[in-house]
Amino acid sequence: MKNKLRNRNSLAHDSLTTAPAAAAAAAVGTSRKMATLARTLHLVSRIRPSTVLSILPRAAAVGCLHTTSLQEHRGVSRVVQPAIDKTSWCSSSVRDYSSKPPLTLDLIQQRVLLVLKLYDKINPEKLSVESHFMQDLGLDSLDHVEVIMAMEDEFGFEIPDADAEKLLRPADIIRYVADKEDIYD
Amino acid sequence: MAAGGRREALALYKALLRESGKFTSYNYREYALRRVRDGFRKAKSLTTEADQKRELEMAKESLQVIKRQVVLGNLYRSPTLVIEK
Repeated sequence: MKNKLRNRNSLAHDSLTTAPAAAAAAAVGTSRKMATLARTLHLVSRIRPSTVLSILPRAAAVGCLHTTSLQEHRGVSRVVQPAIDKTSWCSSSVRDYSSKPPLTLDLIQQRVLLVLKLYDKINPEKLSVESHFMQDLGLDSLDHVEVIMAMEDEFGFEIPDADAEKLLRPADIIRYVADKEDIYD
Repeated sequence: MAAGGRREALALYKALLRESGKFTSYNYREYALRRVRDGFRKAKSLTTEADQKRELEMAKESLQVIKRQVVLGNLYRSPTLVIEK
């Protein structure tokens, strides 16, 4: 009802710009509408709470029936729809909020090298995939532990000490992460 | 240092750093990380068995202290500092 009223109002507004006489008529129309609205509101307020209480459960039961039938209908359409247009339906309604973006070997390499570059004890110019942490980059075993910790933080899983000892080059770390995430080229 | 002691020291180093990083208070966190790094680097060159053992014991005790203090620090948080924002 309010919507209708608003439409009327906008119509009246349009006519206002064209002809003042029509505007006056419309204004009378809107005021009459306002009066009916006020009257209905008054009527609603005069309904006794007890009648509302007695009607409500029935209304709720009907509402329940209505929703179940709706759901059945939806179920039917869900079964039917994929047969009609499978690809677009799947891509639009299946959303994996918790999944991470798929890793590739390239992406892993970029992330590993970025983490190493940002580590203050590694000279970024000397760094390459095949450089040895201790022999080429001049790190000691304590620094190596920190590098491994940074990798754990970057890729979100723990690297056991026994495995960490063997990861002495960026290439080793890349392969280890790829194995862990089941990525093979 | 014997291979077992070396491995133990590295494991302790990792555990200490991980635990120190959990401090909610910026000052405690930065101090603990700095102190752990400095302490291990200083103790790295120790050669006698007794010295190494003493340092490892101290590290273990510190780990317990840090674990307790992290929990306590969580109970009595202070607002984050301007540098953290």
